[in-house]
Amino acid sequence: MTGRTTIGPVQILGTAFFSTHHASAEDALAGRERPFTPPAYQLLVGRARRFTSLVTQMHIEVCGAVSPDPADPPMAVFATRHGEIQTAERLIADFRETRAVSSARFALSVHNTASGVYSVATGSRAATTTVTGANAIAAGWLEASLTVIQTERTVLLSIADEPLPAVFCGPVASSGVAAAFLLGAASRAGRRVELAIAPGLDDPELDPLQVLARGAQAAGRPEAATVALGRIQPGAVLALRFPSSEASA
Amino acid sequence: MTRGYPITAVAIANCLGTDNRTVFERAFAGADAFSPASDFYEFPFATVLGIMPGLPTSGVAWSAQGLDCIPTRLATVLLPSVRQLRPAVRAAVDRWGARRVAYVFASSTGGLEETERSLAPDPRLPLSSAGYRYVDHGIDAASAAVAHHLGVDGVCMAISTACSSSFNALASAIRLIDGGLADAAVVGSADSLCRTTIFGFHSLGLTAPTAMRPFARDRAGITLGEGSAFVLIERDAEATRRHALGWVTGIAAASDAFHHTSPHPEGIGGQICMRQALDRAGLTPNEIDYVSAHGTGTRLNDAVEAAAVRQVFERRVPMTATKSLTGHTLGSAGLTALILAVESLRRQEIPATLRAAPPDDSLGVAVVGELLRVRMQHVLVNAFGFGGSNVSVVVSRPSAEPS
Repeated sequence: MTGRTTIGPVQILGTAFFSTHHASAEDALAGRERPFTPPAYQLLVGRARRFTSLVTQMHIEVCGAVSPDPADPPMAVFATRHGEIQTAERLIADFRETRAVSSARFALSVHNTASGVYSVATGSRAATTTVTGANAIAAGWLEASLTVIQTERTVLLSIADEPLPAVFCGPVASSGVAAAFLLGAASRAGRRVELAIAPGLDDPELDPLQVLARGAQAAGRPEAATVALGRIQPGAVLALRFPSSEASA
Repeated sequence: MTRGYPITAVAIANCLGTDNRTVFERAFAGADAFSPASDFYEFPFATVLGIMPGLPTSGVAWSAQGLDCIPTRLATVLLPSVRQLRPAVRAAVDRWGARRVAYVFASSTGGLEETERSLAPDPRLPLSSAGYRYVDHGIDAASAAVAHHLGVDGVCMAISTACSSSFNALASAIRLIDGGLADAAVVGSADSLCRTTIFGFHSLGLTAPTAMRPFARDRAGITLGEGSAFVLIERDAEATRRHALGWVTGIAAASDAFHHTSPHPEGIGGQICMRQALDRAGLTPNEIDYVSAHGTGTRLNDAVEAAAVRQVFERRVPMTATKSLTGHTLGSAGLTALILAVESLRRQEIPATLRAAPPDDSLGVAVVGELLRVRMQHVLVNAFGFGGSNVSVVVSRPSAEPS
């Protein structure tokens, strides 16, 4: 039995990109770096800003930048490969050294910390989920797009990862990176995109910075583009396919 | 939701046992399966734990033979469920093709315990035989090995929303089926005990010094546990209808938008998702035979969940808290309770909430304190988590399947 190989289309209603070391998606793709610049994450005020990690701050930064309608808060899909990895390292160091951990730190250690912080900050009671794992970007796009298609509602997709502490001996990334895409039904006005499942390398090591920067850039331009997101099943990758704006008009 | 999704196989392992039969027999007999925390680790505070039997406790490596993957505690906790589910998954692969069977995995801590043993080694804990690798840390640490072992080649993804993880994974699997990307999905969940969560819940004042007592007057917190729970759900079709052990007839999620670890005082997110799950199942509150509560045993959580249930049901609907049997298995908690609900529908028995006496009458709910035999069609199961993440699922017995 053959399955579906395309999903969508959906419309991108808003896009935001953030990198701790790049001023824009274009700079990230061109390799133009800036000194470490933390996110402003202005959606959080007062005590809510305390103890938040870089990955949560970046999620909040890009979610705020795409400005969903507060009167109709969207369902939200958060995606992160490493989650609160810097917090996890500190918690382990805490109990190794003091046989106790900080309650405030533990409270913000779960993978869905950002979605919880976001829903509290915006008062949104809409459903949220958090996709993780090595294919978090691809799976996050799939989850968000299917939700748009099946509910005909707006869905906020936020993707972020902070650099992995060296002690984990995992993938090396010098910058934190995040992107948000506000997705709407095909009937809405926006940048049209389709998801395509195609044969591909079993475990392509795509650079998240490059993937998110390419996606954000393609969403903001009229030219046709294809952006590989990563493995979605054995032997197959998921990609974004942007038609030229003229073709999709 | 206008139709349901047949659950064609279940697999469960936790402190009650490492196979379905043992878990079910002990759960419905009301067995107390908790152990002293010192069987896992010497904590500087009193607590008990739901430790899975058969795991090594000191000085030796974990073994996950047969799974052909990393020998972590997570893999060892997963393995009994994966083994049990394999024949049914093979049948689904025969039915639909390997690329049409998806694998959606859920966990709260994933391979964190393996990371702990690398970054905070302790001679009292088993050694890792393979040495630490970052791929052993993630939520999806064992996913590729499990999918390979089960012979599924469909869409593979991982979900982590704390204690509601496995229900959000179930929702994702249903989206894949509805979206035409899969005809069946293995929805798996597992969490192993680890020091971070036990120290962490203790730091929040949420661990019980003795075995947890959900909804009891003197309840004092959570008993943390470990375990795995897997279900196979499939597209509604003649062949799958025949094999249905139960049906997922309604599922819904909502956020509290209140606080990261404390529930909304009126359980507003829980109310929303319970109501929406009922709507999607096409059922009224009166048609639910009992609620399988999230029931963590903390003062606040149980009071808020009871308040939310009172608001939605407007009657003293029977409630039970299976965490009193299994411990709180975190990301696996939802599916653990759901599988026990499927078995309860088969047996037409509601498992007892252990240690619920004396009851907290101020909660105004009817907690099932002893095994209850009753004719049942539909159960509502709750899973609530950090981040104000709430998911409710309605599970129905096969004879109540949608037309």
